[in-house]
Amino acid sequence: MVLEATMICIDNSEWMRNGDYSPSRFQAQADAVNLICGAKTQSNPENTVGVLTMAGKGVRVLVTPTSDLGKILACMHGLEIGGEMNLAAGIQVAQLALKHRQNKKQQQRIIVFTGSPIKHEKKMLEMIGRKLKKNSVALDIVNFGEEDEGKTEKLDALLAAVNNNDTSRMAHVPPGPNALSDVLISTPIFTGDGEGGSGFAAAAAAAAAAGGVSGYDFGVDPNLDPELALALRVSMEEERARQEAAAKKAAEDASKENGGEQQASSQDAAMIERASEETSEAATKTNDMMDDENALLQQALAMSMDDPVINKDMRDTDMSEAAADDPELALALQLSVADGSEDSGSQSDMSKLLADQSFVSSILASLPGVDPNDPSVKDLLASMQNQSEPQQKNEDKPPNEEEKK
Amino acid sequence: MSGESASAIQKGQVDLLDFIDWSSVECLNQSSTHSLPNAIKQGYREDDGLHLESDADEQLLLYIPFTQVIKLSAILIKGPEEEGPKTVKLFSNKEHMGFSNVNDFPPSDVADLSPDNLKGKPVPLKYVKFQNVRSLTIFIEDNQTGSEITKVQKITLYGTTVETTDMKGLKKVEDH
Repeated sequence: MVLEATMICIDNSEWMRNGDYSPSRFQAQADAVNLICGAKTQSNPENTVGVLTMAGKGVRVLVTPTSDLGKILACMHGLEIGGEMNLAAGIQVAQLALKHRQNKKQQQRIIVFTGSPIKHEKKMLEMIGRKLKKNSVALDIVNFGEEDEGKTEKLDALLAAVNNNDTSRMAHVPPGPNALSDVLISTPIFTGDGEGGSGFAAAAAAAAAAGGVSGYDFGVDPNLDPELALALRVSMEEERARQEAAAKKAAEDASKENGGEQQASSQDAAMIERASEETSEAATKTNDMMDDENALLQQALAMSMDDPVINKDMRDTDMSEAAADDPELALALQLSVADGSEDSGSQSDMSKLLADQSFVSSILASLPGVDPNDPSVKDLLASMQNQSEPQQKNEDKPPNEEEKK
Repeated sequence: MSGESASAIQKGQVDLLDFIDWSSVECLNQSSTHSLPNAIKQGYREDDGLHLESDADEQLLLYIPFTQVIKLSAILIKGPEEEGPKTVKLFSNKEHMGFSNVNDFPPSDVADLSPDNLKGKPVPLKYVKFQNVRSLTIFIEDNQTGSEITKVQKITLYGTTVETTDMKGLKKVEDH
């Protein structure tokens, strides 16, 4: 989280037309610049970044150090390739730009992309390096593109002259299938930013490389949103517990059949699969499960209410499927089926359910704030038991009972 | 009077250590192992084993802001005989100078240190130039022998504060 002002020196010389980095050296460089800007501003909101080009007609400052990421990205558009890179002048202009930064408390840093051969002498580079060190400016060098023996030696000398306690680093990116930005993410140039930078880098790397699978368990950074992450984890575990209970029941029910085993194991596999997916999908699956349960419940009620004379076997299979999902649902269904088979005539099954006092009292006991031993509740239960009498009397009685209270 | 001005420290002048704003103190071109607190902080500066050292070359640029406005009367710089500082330029109230623009302004005062000074004799300054000092920039240009590294063991600033006048000093004037 170091407070830093950074100047990025871009090489836009003719050597950048080369396509050995995809899509072209210049484009790879632009991507890397965008990444660096993002990482710097994210690691500390007060960080500022500026950009200048070293080739073309001459060294040109495109944007002075600013924390506005949009301005930086905008200035990268419409850059033209041409000319030769002037490393010494570029570094000196960058140093000047940093000297006139608005917030003097920021540390000074220059990041240089060197993709073309260096025409300066080693001595001159060393002098520049010493001047940078004297003014406590750190220097990061990204060495890519053209490779000649002198170049690496000169850059090493420059780095040695600037380096003060490892604040200055060099990254060497050889041409290859990996994009320049991807290779850079793993270097200290990115990770040296500390906590925030490495978090950004990790997220970017994950997004780029693994293709959609985030680095975090649930796609939510626990640092950013701990409550959401916790809620997701809890719901995942609840779902898993329910799945296990249902799987156990299914295993028990279908222990007679061989298919039961396969069903349980397939359910386990499904569970494991679900557990490894991102939570957004898990959440939608949870929602789907709920929807399925609702549909099943409605189906069960409809079945029990409409047509009690249904093939019991069919109902049993339906029930077992539903039961596989929810033991409570199974209980309710069993009761409804049992009542339906007993008296399928005049009374609705709901009232029959209510007539079962033990069932009602168990429900009432589970309701918060209701004490089954409360006299009014007991009266209500008694009144409900007398629902076998004409309905009008039933309607009169409970309201009367309640009015008396 | 002239004898008094030649004497080490005038009466009423205090060590300005307490008025230094430590959070904004800066030193350019210092070595990371031998840094500025070694030379000015209480306790560190008394220890001759700890000193401030320059890094890339022999120059040092110190920036010392104060918590209140002070008047500076004298400066004491202690260092080793060979690598101790020689030419010391002082700038008052110039913020954030760099080595590039340090020679663009005339200094408020220049102290040419002799080996005596390096042993502990304070250097009196042009008091009139340092009447209203919020920050002091000390530019050590070279050292006694021209070696690559300059070493400083102790820096002490003598003066008074502006807002709170020393009562002893007030009485002294009345006596005259």
